[in-house]
Amino acid sequence: MEQVQKADVIVTAGVTKVYEADGVPVNALNGIDLTIRSGEFTAIVGPSGSGKTTFLNIISGLDSPTAGSVRLAGKVLSEMSGNELSDFRRDNIGFVFQAYNLIPVLTVEENVEYIMLLAGVPKAERHDRVIAMLEAVGLEGVADRTPTQLSGGQQQRVAIARAMVSEPQIILADEPTANLDSKTGADLLVMMRRLNTETGMTFIFSTHDPMVMEGATRLITLRDGRIDTDERR
Amino acid sequence: MNGTRSVPTTLPTMILKIAFRNIFRQKRRTILTALAMVVGFALLSLTIGLSDGAYGGIIEMFTRNRTGHIQVHREGYLDKPSLYKTIDNLSAVGEAIQNTADVEAWTQRVYGAGLGSVGEKSTGVQIIGVDVAREIQATRFDNKVIEGSILAEIASHEAVVGKGLAKILSAKVGSEIVIFSQGADGSIANDVYKIVGIAESGDDITDRTGCYLHIEDAQELFVLEGRAHEIVVIVSNINRVDKVTSEIEANLSDSTLDVAPWQVIAKSFYRAMKTDQQGDAISRWVIMLIVAIGVLNTVLMSVLERTREYGVLKAVGTKPVQIFWLVICEVVIIALASICVGALLGILANYLFSIYGITYPEEITYGGMKLKTLYAEVNVRSLYIPAITVMLSAAVVSLFPAIKAARIMPAKAMRTH
Repeated sequence: MEQVQKADVIVTAGVTKVYEADGVPVNALNGIDLTIRSGEFTAIVGPSGSGKTTFLNIISGLDSPTAGSVRLAGKVLSEMSGNELSDFRRDNIGFVFQAYNLIPVLTVEENVEYIMLLAGVPKAERHDRVIAMLEAVGLEGVADRTPTQLSGGQQQRVAIARAMVSEPQIILADEPTANLDSKTGADLLVMMRRLNTETGMTFIFSTHDPMVMEGATRLITLRDGRIDTDERR
Repeated sequence: MNGTRSVPTTLPTMILKIAFRNIFRQKRRTILTALAMVVGFALLSLTIGLSDGAYGGIIEMFTRNRTGHIQVHREGYLDKPSLYKTIDNLSAVGEAIQNTADVEAWTQRVYGAGLGSVGEKSTGVQIIGVDVAREIQATRFDNKVIEGSILAEIASHEAVVGKGLAKILSAKVGSEIVIFSQGADGSIANDVYKIVGIAESGDDITDRTGCYLHIEDAQELFVLEGRAHEIVVIVSNINRVDKVTSEIEANLSDSTLDVAPWQVIAKSFYRAMKTDQQGDAISRWVIMLIVAIGVLNTVLMSVLERTREYGVLKAVGTKPVQIFWLVICEVVIIALASICVGALLGILANYLFSIYGITYPEEITYGGMKLKTLYAEVNVRSLYIPAITVMLSAAVVSLFPAIKAARIMPAKAMRTH
C-alpha cells in the first residue's frame, strides 16, 4: 500500500527557555529539536517541571523562546508581530487548557462563537458551526449557560468546542483531563480521538494521565527540559 | 441546542457586550469607580454653578447699580471726562437705543464736579444729574435711597446725597446743600438744593462724593440744556451685551459717539473678575486630579484582577488593540453613566443653591459691592465642563491600564491566579 507522506506542521530547532526565578536562571527547556507531522495525536509527558507546558506555550507563540526557533504551519513565529501572531493563533491553533479558561462573562454559545467573530466568519455560518460543534461535544442543551453554571467536564467540552470550531490545523491541550474525573476524562479523550480521526487535525497534549498516554499515537517524554524518549505507535 | 437566541453580529458588538458584562460582574468595583466620577462631576458642577452665580451676581449688581450694561458717550469722554464732551442730539440717540432689540431700559446722566456746602462744612462733590423715572427703571435708583425720599420726577431743586457725603457734611434730610461749580459757558454756577434723601449705592467712593440732582436741575446748573454726558443702557440678557452694543453702534451710525460694553467701561473691575475666575480653575484642576486618581486606582485594580482573562483572550486570537479597546470601553461606559447621574445631582444642587443660596455669616465686599448671600447658577457650563473633565480624565487614566492589558504575555498572564 502506498504510504501518504504527511506534512511537518511543527518544527522546532534548539528551543531553549531560561526563566529568572528570584534572580536565579532556571533552564526550563534545553535545546529541543522536534518535528510533529500533520494528523499526529501526540502526548508529551514527563514529571512536573520537565518543561511540558513551557514547550506547548512556546510552540503556540504564547511565550517566546530564549534561543532556538519554532516553525509552525510553515511560519517562523519569532518573525511575526504581536498582531500577526494573534491572527496566526486564531487561524491555526486551538487551545484546551487545564483550567478550561473560558471567558466567564460569555455564554457557552458566545464562547464558542468568539473565535469565529475574531476571524470575521459571517453570522449565519457562525451560527451553524456553533450548533454543529456543540452537538459534536454533547452540549446541545447548555448553550445559554455561563461557564460558572457548568460542571468541570462540561466546561472542558466547551473549551474543546471553542478550540475546534474554527477548524485549526493544530489543537494544543495542556493537561486537558487533569481536573476531570476518570470517566469524564475518558469520554473526552474518545471524543478528541474521534475528531482527530475524522478531521485529520493534529493534537498535542501535555499530560500526566496514563489514559491519555495510552491513546496517543506518539509519546514524547521530557526530562529536565530535554527530550528523553520519542516513541511512535 | 437552544440556538434560537440571536448572536451578536460584529466583533465590536461582542467587545461591547464583554465590556458591559464585566461592568455588571464586578459590581462593587464598578460602583467605586462610578462613585469617584459622580462625586467629582457633582462637585465640579456645584463649584462652577456657585462660582458663576457669585460672579454673575456681582456683575449684575455692579452693572445694574453703576455702569449699566452699555454706555454711550461723546468720543473720548471715557478716557478723559470733560464737562464739554456731551451728547447733544439726546432725543435722536434715545430713540435709536429704544428701537434696538433686547434693550430693556436706558437712562441719561449729566456729570459735573463742584464744591458742596451744608452749613459751615464744605467738600468736593460729584454731581450726578439723573432722569429720575428712567433711572428707577434702569438702575433701581429708588432702592439706593435709604433715608428720606427719592427725587421728584419733575425738577424741584432737590438733592439726594450719598451716605458718606452726608456724614462729611453733617447733612440730614431737610438740610440745604449749596453747590458751587462752573457752567459750560464759563459762568459761575451755584445754586441751593434741599436734601430729600440719603443714598447708599454700595460703592464707598460714590457714597462719599455723590450728590444726585434731577437731570434738568443739573443741566440748568451747568448750562447744558438738552445735553447729557452719558447714556446708560440695560439689556434684557447680559450675555448679549456685545451683540446689542454692535446693534446700537449700527443704529446710531455716529462716529462722534462711543458705544462701550461694561467690560470696557469698567476695565479694572472686569480684569479683577477674570483673574479671580482663573483662580477658580485651580480648584477645578484639584477636583479633576482627585477624580483621575480614583479612577486610575480602580481601573488598574480591575485590570490586574483580570490579567488571566486578558491572557486567555489573547491566547485565542484577540489582538492587543482589541483588548486595549475593551478596557477603554468599560471605563467609557462607566463614565457615561456617571456623567448622567452626576449631571442630575449637579443640576439639583445648583438649582437648590440658586433658590436658597448660602448666606455669609458677615457681609463681604467685592469691588465695592456688598454681598450677603451667594447664589448658584444653573447653566450649561456647569454641565459640559464637568462632563468633558470626567470623560477626559477617565479616558486618559485608563490608557495606562489598557496598554498594560494589551501588552500582556498570554503564557505569563494565564499563570496568574
